Amino acid sequence: MTNNLNSLADGVRCPLDFGASERRPLLALVEPDAAPPEVRAVYDEACRFYGMDRPPAVLRAMAGDPAFLRGVWSAVRAAFGEPEPGHAGRLDRLTKEVLALAASVTAKSEYGVDFHLREVRRLGLPEAGVLEVLQVTQLFNGYTKIADALRLAPTDFAPLARPKDADPMRPG
Amino acid sequence: MEIVRLPEPDEFGPEDRKIFDNTRHWFGIDFVPKMSLVLRMRPAIGDGLTQASRRAMPDRVLTRGQKELIAAAVSAMNVCEY
Repeated sequence: MTNNLNSLADGVRCPLDFGASERRPLLALVEPDAAPPEVRAVYDEACRFYGMDRPPAVLRAMAGDPAFLRGVWSAVRAAFGEPEPGHAGRLDRLTKEVLALAASVTAKSEYGVDFHLREVRRLGLPEAGVLEVLQVTQLFNGYTKIADALRLAPTDFAPLARPKDADPMRPG
Repeated sequence: MEIVRLPEPDEFGPEDRKIFDNTRHWFGIDFVPKMSLVLRMRPAIGDGLTQASRRAMPDRVLTRGQKELIAAAVSAMNVCEY
């Protein structure tokens, strides 16, 4: 989903939602006061979900087609929401935002980095944690380039047996 | 197929082999990853990257599991099969 949204936002030069930006969008954004009710409903959900006063520019960029906007937004909610009760071990919302930040840095998405950096902070990740995300992202962007440049063949790992209902996100 | 010959672990010196032991223990595996061999082939570069990785990957604010997820996501985005 991160690449889905970033590709549109950077492709049509959506202004950043939080950082200073001189980007001028290449298409008209649908502002809330001009939006039809079905679009406003998505905007309201998005503002609540992200704690924003104004819907993200990337949603305003796709709101010319309300049905398309609703479809994409439903997918975003499903992908980034907290796991439903009874699904222990699934990723929590902050971890998903951490991955979205790493993906945005890797894709060099100005819009995505601005958005997800703000979101991980809003969800409570301290600056030391932000640095850790950037460190791991930087290291593995480097390691993957080394591996590809040398054409390192992957190693076949035997599948690991996992205890039932184990939570891989907690230190052992 | 690799474009450089990767030495076998026993072709390295005792200090390097100690690092390989640590690496096997860290990943819970019984072989030396090819990337570890590459890094030991150029210690001037590999030492720094190894030090940075040892700093970055353990549980701190983020868990090691979360960091391995980041590594997997970055690898997938870069279509790096290794």
